[in-house]
Amino acid sequence: MPHRSRKTLGIILTVVLLVTMFMGVGPGLRLINPDPQRPGSAFSLFGLPTVYAWGLLWYAVQLIIILVACFTVWRTDGDENARGD
Amino acid sequence: MLAVTEPLGNIPHVILGLYLLMLVWFSVLAYRRSRNSEEDYYLAGREQGWLVSSLTIMATFFSSYALLGAPGMAYRDGVVFALFSLNVPFAGACIYALGARIRRLGRARGYVTPGDMICDYYGKSSPLRILVALVGVLYTVPYVVMQIQAGGILSQQMFVGAHAYDIGIVVLALITMGYVMVGGMRSVAWTDTVQGFLLMLGMLVGGTAAVIVLGGPSGFLESLSKLPHESLSVPGTTGFWTPAMLFTVCVFGAVGSIIQPAQWMRFYAARSTRTLRRSAVIFTVALTLCYLFGVMLVGLGGQALYPLTHDDAGKLMPNPEVGTTARGFDNILVVVIKDHLPRLMGPVGAVLATLIFVAIMAAAMSTSDSNLHATSALLTRDVYDRFVRPNASQHERTWVGRLVIAGCTIAALVLVLVSRHSARFNPVGMIIRMGLLAIAFSSQLIPMTLDILFIRRGTRQGAEAGTLVGILIVLVFSPLMPPLGKAFAGVLRDLRCTIDIGTWALGGNVAVFFLVSLFTRGPDPARVREFARQMTEEKGSTS
Repeated sequence: MPHRSRKTLGIILTVVLLVTMFMGVGPGLRLINPDPQRPGSAFSLFGLPTVYAWGLLWYAVQLIIILVACFTVWRTDGDENARGD
Repeated sequence: MLAVTEPLGNIPHVILGLYLLMLVWFSVLAYRRSRNSEEDYYLAGREQGWLVSSLTIMATFFSSYALLGAPGMAYRDGVVFALFSLNVPFAGACIYALGARIRRLGRARGYVTPGDMICDYYGKSSPLRILVALVGVLYTVPYVVMQIQAGGILSQQMFVGAHAYDIGIVVLALITMGYVMVGGMRSVAWTDTVQGFLLMLGMLVGGTAAVIVLGGPSGFLESLSKLPHESLSVPGTTGFWTPAMLFTVCVFGAVGSIIQPAQWMRFYAARSTRTLRRSAVIFTVALTLCYLFGVMLVGLGGQALYPLTHDDAGKLMPNPEVGTTARGFDNILVVVIKDHLPRLMGPVGAVLATLIFVAIMAAAMSTSDSNLHATSALLTRDVYDRFVRPNASQHERTWVGRLVIAGCTIAALVLVLVSRHSARFNPVGMIIRMGLLAIAFSSQLIPMTLDILFIRRGTRQGAEAGTLVGILIVLVFSPLMPPLGKAFAGVLRDLRCTIDIGTWALGGNVAVFFLVSLFTRGPDPARVREFARQMTEEKGSTS
């Protein structure tokens, strides 16, 4: 992968990772947080607690980011010559 | 000998005995392979492969925080704390993003401690070296204290007798001290490898047990749906985990935990960049799953099995079967396992329960050993070698490092014992609280680290002033601070409840670092260019 493309992809993945933190554990939580004071709030989604399901969703996105980074951005030429471990 | 609590029979004696024998065996093996040099004692010759590296990084990160603190906090605050697991993938990304550059510089320039790299970059500076060592020590002390405390909690739950807690903390502290002193990094890394497996097993078996106890997945989810609404929403039952608090703890806590001295030295010790790449992926996948589908389920299931109560003052308390003080939330995993596994599964359940208890001990030991070992390096290389006896031989420095390990262990042990037996002096609270304080200190290395690795605009004076301000802010916010009047205490309490204290300190640190750097002269440009080249070039491990 050319150096410039790798750098651009690295920046994109970093930004998306920060977005997952903002959405998964930050202010993004307000989008789905059930309000205990309001009747009819959805405390579960597909049987799972809504907040927990939200966490699983963003974990899946984070995992994809790490795997993409592992197979692209983090694969440097020098690294591939490293002696086996 | 301590008598074992009834449901477990004599199984804990046998399994614990085997586990402790294995630790002794590893330390003897590591000692026999050691080459009596400082680099070998502290970095295992910079030859750690991916399996040992990933498990030792994980085991150092795990600690009793994962097996007692996390389920305890999920038990207290509800489902919101399960989201804390999302700090792990972020930390995993940092293992490569920061670790690979740190490793390359460490190998190219022969560093052993974080202070070696930071002071080499900014220019030889005694105050900066002492500040970096101080951050490391301030991180280590609460972290080792909480691991030793975990040994006491565990012993109290496994054995009967008035002194079970005290015996537990003494045994855990002395055995850990012994194998770190004898075998150095190699011994720490090998034992961490076994301990890493054990604690992943413990986390997953714990979660599975909680689900089985509540009648399988459908029964478990049905029980959760009946929990109080505060337990199923943000900010949880105590109102502590607001999105702002959770976000700052997860982001800055993750980075702070990954650049704390023990982890930093693991980056130096890694054989290649590929080692760290694999470690980052294994860490992200395995550890997050262990949290989300392991211990967090114990805390949530615990709320269904042992409903929370309130004391006369209206303060949230654990169920009396779990604990009688506010610290008792941390007992939830041990109580669920001890009460239910032997009853559900007979002798197999007793064996599994004991394995989980050994995993808790492993979690506590694997973190204490790494931190004691790192502190020994910091105080020997950054203080003794620079200011006390600059001409000391490597052999002498290694022995001084061993004495530092003994001194730190005994100091932490005394702190736990005194705080347990004194009504007036008790800085040791719930495990998570101690952990967050420790990470708040290590987070003060973030501005310098990011500056050296990516930005390269800061100056030595900026780094010194910023770090000093950061440490002072954490100390002011910490429970170690003596009360300075009601009004001030009220302001501090309000600030503590908005965002993580490490982030407040980091804000002050960055602002001062930036401002002072604007008006002072940066490092030699030629050195900055050389650093930039060395940290991106793979060198030294190519065939």
